[in-house]
Amino acid sequence: MDTSAIIFYAIAAFTLVMGLMAVTSSKIFRSAIWLLLSMVGIAALYFWMQVEFIAAVQIIVYVGGIVVLIIFSIFLTQQAGTKMPGPSLKRIIASALAALFGLTFSFNLINHYGFSSAASQPFSLSVSDIGVQMLSTTEHGYILPFEVVSLLLLSAMVGCIVIALKPPKENVERTVAAPENITVNITEPEEENVNVNIREPLIITEV
Amino acid sequence: MGAFSLIVLTIAAIAFSAGGILAGKLFTKGSRNAQKGQPYECGIPTQTSPWHQFNVGYYLFALLFLIFDVEMVFMYPWAVVVKKVGITALFEILIFIFILFMGFLYAHKKGALKWM
Repeated sequence: MDTSAIIFYAIAAFTLVMGLMAVTSSKIFRSAIWLLLSMVGIAALYFWMQVEFIAAVQIIVYVGGIVVLIIFSIFLTQQAGTKMPGPSLKRIIASALAALFGLTFSFNLINHYGFSSAASQPFSLSVSDIGVQMLSTTEHGYILPFEVVSLLLLSAMVGCIVIALKPPKENVERTVAAPENITVNITEPEEENVNVNIREPLIITEV
Repeated sequence: MGAFSLIVLTIAAIAFSAGGILAGKLFTKGSRNAQKGQPYECGIPTQTSPWHQFNVGYYLFALLFLIFDVEMVFMYPWAVVVKKVGITALFEILIFIFILFMGFLYAHKKGALKWM
């Protein structure tokens, strides 16, 4: 086993352990942090394969974006800090079966097709190549998808504003007029009932 | 690069991180009190548990952040080759940014970027 293989197995073990912790942790916020570390492990695998751009995208989008989104949505719930009860036996069996199915499926695929070492011919996938290809206006260039992506992002932005934005309140400080006559009965032993008229508007300031 | 350098790197990494913790343990006078257990040494003392349910409006900021985050991903390879490709690259990215800037203007107009 050479050095490269040792590094690969170390990264893979790290990713798997973090993924297991994410699944088994009973506190949902910790679960998200374990998931974040697992994503970092996958990014490390990309670095190990020397595809730096994919690794950078993995860190920027998944570690920096998706997991932050997940953490935000955890904070929207009431039970961010509480300890969750363990899953029921039925769920454990079902998820174990699903995981087993996935394992056999991918193992079968890998076994069937086999990744020969002939594919180890060095492929060039530098950021510069990606950039040139992306901006190329020739027949095999990707300039149209590149511009369409901006439209996609625009529609995503407009969509999330339309769905998630609450309509703003008209004015924060509003004047509440008191009803015509409010009779407050103050019962004190010596005096009679006192009528108090409130005419001045109350100002309720919402903080 | 061989197995030897990997071992040296691993040992150095462990020594670097564990050494700092060990030195801290060895040379400082240990004291434990309730004040030290607080998350911040200075500032306003915490009143309640921080595990509140957050306002759903904050989710919008996360979503908008993610969209501009993805935009950055596309601008990164552009920035690497802009000199090589030349003036066309400049126009291409200007169209790209213009379209997204419309979204930014929309968000600004709707007050989506106002902190509540």
